[in-house]
Amino acid sequence: MKRFERRSRFLSARLSRYEVELLTSLVRQLVELVSDGEPEGFQPTPAAADPFEQLTKDLQIDPDEPEISDDPVLRRLFPNAYPHDAAASSDFRRFTERGLKTKKVLEAQLVLDRLAATQDGVRRLQIPYEEAEAWLRTLTGVRLAVATRLGITDADSAEQLAELSDDDPRAFMLSVYEWLGFAQETLIEALSD
Amino acid sequence: MAGSEEVVRPGGGTSLAERPLEQIRTETPWVTIVWDDPVNLMSYVTHVFVSYFNYPKARAERLMMQVHLEGRAIVSTGSREAMERDVGAMHEYGLWATLDKSDG
Repeated sequence: MKRFERRSRFLSARLSRYEVELLTSLVRQLVELVSDGEPEGFQPTPAAADPFEQLTKDLQIDPDEPEISDDPVLRRLFPNAYPHDAAASSDFRRFTERGLKTKKVLEAQLVLDRLAATQDGVRRLQIPYEEAEAWLRTLTGVRLAVATRLGITDADSAEQLAELSDDDPRAFMLSVYEWLGFAQETLIEALSD
Repeated sequence: MAGSEEVVRPGGGTSLAERPLEQIRTETPWVTIVWDDPVNLMSYVTHVFVSYFNYPKARAERLMMQVHLEGRAIVSTGSREAMERDVGAMHEYGLWATLDKSDG
């Protein structure tokens, strides 16, 4: 892809068919992961539904059950808010995690819709200005997921990856990671134009 | 005060001495801390500080550099409730943030 451009109310870029398919796949995987395989459970509650029902369901989570995910990507996406207070962290998590997940799923859907509108890269990707934040946040989520799978946990591990040989099995994921960084960087630049 | 039934209160609100202890405790300043991570772009972190906190770009960049160079930075202060909101917002943006008492 070339850099994102600001064109009046849109941010626009031309993506290849391959790039559209790749990004679509990555965003779908993020949705699966965040929604625990049940994205329908994270749609906004219809007006008729009882808002207390969902809240009490969340609060009934057994306090002895491990709430923190085994998956390192989820641990990075939903970190502990209180470093010195496990009980407060747990309360915070119980009250906020569902809303956070719902927002991520909704924003990812906006991204998927705009990608689909390119008709596999035939048309330019057009992101309305109001959806730019959803794109930035979804791209961040995807980058965090890819980075975690690559084992990037700190500056050192990030640097080591820069020296991967081409036949290393991680070389492909690394090129995807760099491409995602380019996309996000140019989107931010185009936003400030 | 002996004798008087009518008490004039400054500011119109309840005076500090009459508020329940719990409420005073929640007003102890808390802070939101953003931690460095190897993934997020410097331009993105700056963008988040401008977008969410409405900081001028220069201040946002200073805070971002502090996160980058020192490993962490205090990005906001306030009540515990307000800091929980800020931490939640930072997590929405994919930043790594925690809250703590300002003297913690």
